[in-house]
Amino acid sequence: MKKLSLLLLFVLIHLCSFAQESASINGYITNVKTGETLISANLALKDTRKGTSTNTSGYYSLTDIPPGTYTVVATYIGFKRFEKEITLTAGQKLRLDIKLTPQEYQLDEVVVESEKEKEEQRNIGLAQIKTELIKKVPTVFQADVFRSLQLLPGVKSASDFSSGLYIRGGSPDQTLILLDRTTVYNPTHFFGFFSTFNPDAVKDVRLYKGGYPAKYGGRLGSVLTIYNKDGNRKEFQGSATLGLLASRASFEGPLKKGSWMMAIRRSTLEPLLAVLRQSNDNIPSSFYFLDMNGKVNYDADPNNKLSLAFYSGVDDLNFPIAEDADIKINYGNQTLSSTWTHIFSEKVFSNFTVTGSRYFNFPSFNIASTPFNRSNNIYDFSAKDDIEYLPNNNHEISTGFWMGSLTLKLQDTFDGKDTFGSRIKSLYGSWYLQDKWNLSDRWILTPGIRLNAFSEGNYFKLDPRLSLEYRPADRIRLQAAYGRYTQFLTLISNEAFTGFDVWLTADDGVPPAYGNQYVIGAKTIPWEGYGLDIEAYYRSMKNLFEPDPFLPDQAGLPYRDIFRFGSGYAYGTEIYFERRVGRLTGFAGYTFSVTRRKFPNFNEPLLANGPARFYPPKYDRTHDLKLVLEYKLSSRWSTTAVFNYATGQAYTKPLGRTAAFDFPTSGTNLDQLIVGRVNASRLPPYNRLDLGFTRKGTFFGIGQAKWQFQIINAYSRRNIWFYNYDLDNNPAKRKAVKLLPILPTISYTLDF
Amino acid sequence: MKRILILFVFASLLFTACNLYRQDSYQEDYVVESYLVANAGLPKVRLSKTVPIQKKYNFQQTAVSKASIEIRKLNADSSVAETYPYAQSSPGIYTSVVAAKVQAQQLYQLHITTADDHQITATTYVPGDFKTVNKLQDRYIYQSDNQIKITTTPSEYITNRQTYYIFTVNALRPKTENLTPFYKDLVENNDNAIENYYVNSSGIINEGNYDRNADGTITLDLPWLAIAFYDSNAVTANAIDDNMYDFLRSQNVQTGGSTLSPGEIQNIRYNINGGIGVFGSMASDTNRVVISRPSN
Repeated sequence: MKKLSLLLLFVLIHLCSFAQESASINGYITNVKTGETLISANLALKDTRKGTSTNTSGYYSLTDIPPGTYTVVATYIGFKRFEKEITLTAGQKLRLDIKLTPQEYQLDEVVVESEKEKEEQRNIGLAQIKTELIKKVPTVFQADVFRSLQLLPGVKSASDFSSGLYIRGGSPDQTLILLDRTTVYNPTHFFGFFSTFNPDAVKDVRLYKGGYPAKYGGRLGSVLTIYNKDGNRKEFQGSATLGLLASRASFEGPLKKGSWMMAIRRSTLEPLLAVLRQSNDNIPSSFYFLDMNGKVNYDADPNNKLSLAFYSGVDDLNFPIAEDADIKINYGNQTLSSTWTHIFSEKVFSNFTVTGSRYFNFPSFNIASTPFNRSNNIYDFSAKDDIEYLPNNNHEISTGFWMGSLTLKLQDTFDGKDTFGSRIKSLYGSWYLQDKWNLSDRWILTPGIRLNAFSEGNYFKLDPRLSLEYRPADRIRLQAAYGRYTQFLTLISNEAFTGFDVWLTADDGVPPAYGNQYVIGAKTIPWEGYGLDIEAYYRSMKNLFEPDPFLPDQAGLPYRDIFRFGSGYAYGTEIYFERRVGRLTGFAGYTFSVTRRKFPNFNEPLLANGPARFYPPKYDRTHDLKLVLEYKLSSRWSTTAVFNYATGQAYTKPLGRTAAFDFPTSGTNLDQLIVGRVNASRLPPYNRLDLGFTRKGTFFGIGQAKWQFQIINAYSRRNIWFYNYDLDNNPAKRKAVKLLPILPTISYTLDF
Repeated sequence: MKRILILFVFASLLFTACNLYRQDSYQEDYVVESYLVANAGLPKVRLSKTVPIQKKYNFQQTAVSKASIEIRKLNADSSVAETYPYAQSSPGIYTSVVAAKVQAQQLYQLHITTADDHQITATTYVPGDFKTVNKLQDRYIYQSDNQIKITTTPSEYITNRQTYYIFTVNALRPKTENLTPFYKDLVENNDNAIENYYVNSSGIINEGNYDRNADGTITLDLPWLAIAFYDSNAVTANAIDDNMYDFLRSQNVQTGGSTLSPGEIQNIRYNINGGIGVFGSMASDTNRVVISRPSN
């Protein structure tokens, strides 16, 4: 016993000595021109294996540095390399805030970086998209964050009309969407055509396609985090863009001890609608969408920052559909978040945020003086804290909580009377703990655990997470991850139209959905300026609960009975190849994927009374290839191209028909289609080429200007959305409903 | 790395070559159709076959003859209480050879044996009868504040579930000049056949939308949307059984409007053994009203 005590004392003294001898550096990495913090900027000590990257607040910390003289190197794509020599004494805690200078692009330049520095420390399943790329790639009518994300491998769209994200076999409600740490419940404008995120306001977009860490939860599949800009801390600047569908303007500038940012966007369709109304009846009498983003930052002192961010957006439609009949829809989101970022010490960093989010949706119809109205509101108020603790360079411990109150209020009225109504108030909470453990120079193990609680139904769910990374060589990272994910919410939506979206929750008798994800991958840098990533995944989905689509009326039914409960799975492989240097840059992504669902009383054999079978949902595409290229013709001209080829979506091919002639409550025959397996056929392959041309210049010396001319679907391939079978014709006639034709768009942007 | 890439592409191709979810092929099925209405006589039964989707559909050409058909009244333990034999009256159409009234709150079974010895059966429970207890006005002005209100006794069902109603308005003078504005626009400007609106149906409406009055009756408001024609109309409240409920709600989804993706089609819920179709029942109550044009 005495010997053991002496041994322990010796070890303790040794550790304390080591702790006292080692030094640390910490601080923020920012853009010298704007003061904007840089997320995932790399920092390393030259000629050592020590390095790290900034977190989502732009903060870094590097500890356990033996005393000595070092060259600190900081790099970030699009910025000049930063180098500074420092000398650290024993026990010194150096605060080093680094300002990086944006790099002016020079043709044919090849940036040389060291092995450690050019590594992008990305977790498994994580993809990032640069805001500059969002504004450059040709997209329908205007730049859009979600449509740019749809270019990544593993991310699919339902159609040309939808910006919805179908990620690794999951539906859009399986992706948690956070704007400045606040949940957004219906992130769409124009009924799903665009997302609510203004590219001018956005600073960082990162998508965890799968296997996401313990810090996040509440969705089965993925997490999309979007951070808006803080605002230019050095000088006032602005930007204005005129486009065919919408126009936008953004402004930002310094405050005495901080910054502010404001961005506004509005549709500009009124002149077009007025012209169309002169020759067509079925044109809305009014339609617009509008959104505003804003942020104010206050840098109280080097260790304390406060920010207040808000978003407000609305879509409003007024559409007389026939004589004595009209539709009105008004829907949108509002979010508000306030964050306190505090550096306790070089080892402990904290982000505390209070959030509020509201989604509202008020559709109404009035047909022959018979009104139908819906009032649909979601209120979500929460508080969350994320703490990062770096006891030493081998461990990066993250912990935190997120708790809040979620109220869903839905009330339908028909002909002046209340019909279906639902008011659910839930309390939710979660806590997580994760340790990114550097087992050695080559092995990193990241175990984590997340505990979720939901008051409606009194559910407590434990979600374990684990990821492992091995670096056999400097340019290769092999990764594997496992996670369990729980989801307490479900979304009623239509892929073609998100104007009626309704969220419902788990409750007594309606258990939450859950699933496991297994991911393996390799991230490599085969040559200078190139990246090659390969990932494979498998996902299970259990207890998928969704409102039964065969219920014509929910009134009078117990809450549990309005749902159907099913299961699903998805697996696939993604290859991502990127070139970042030279005149020609871009990426190619290939996805092989399979996704299936099964629900009771659906896809059963017609006469055999057999059980329900798995079937592919419509958005299941087996092969999907995307190519995104940018070529810099000169310092003024550049061109972009996006090509997408995908095998056909699933659809149900009817096999036979019959009719009912005497149905007592119908004045007409009731035609019936006879089908075999649901969605067992495939539409023709989808392919489309979009081209864009950009010319930079100046605007009367006021500022930089840019013309963008784009051609969507350059060779006007009429891809098929779905087939419609018209049984009024005999024999039945199949008609293809097609997607977008060739569409030119033009926009003009002024930066000042 | 090159080898890993080749391996992944090869594995992908291999997976896709093995398509385990193949499109199946058409199979011909027998189709039955018959509806029992409480307090009405025994209904006719139609028997036919399906046709492949690419072929022309005609009932007469698909009609099935020489089948042996019975409707049986069942006891609560499913034993047969009475049998009503049917005979073919025209190709594919069979009528009862005996006169009998359909009873409310009664179990019935359809039993068919085709000429090739194929058996088709189905069962229905006729919903409880109900009646209007309030006196309706003879005349209502279209889209006035005075809406048509029907107060009825409740209809009972074997499983004590809520009643599923369908309201129909049957125009008794369906002339073009009698169309109400909304329907006039549908017919004249949107190429819809006027015959589509001779019988205007509300679709399925749950009893849960209405509160029960203190005396146990239910007051149902007829929306103006249901009125396609001015002048005389027969307004009928129908309480349907589970078979009609399943058939109609799944047939509506086939024609679109649900949350299923476009192009995703599911078979209708038929509740027939040995075939498809509908053997349903309902109870009804009808009132006649006259709808006048508004004065302006």
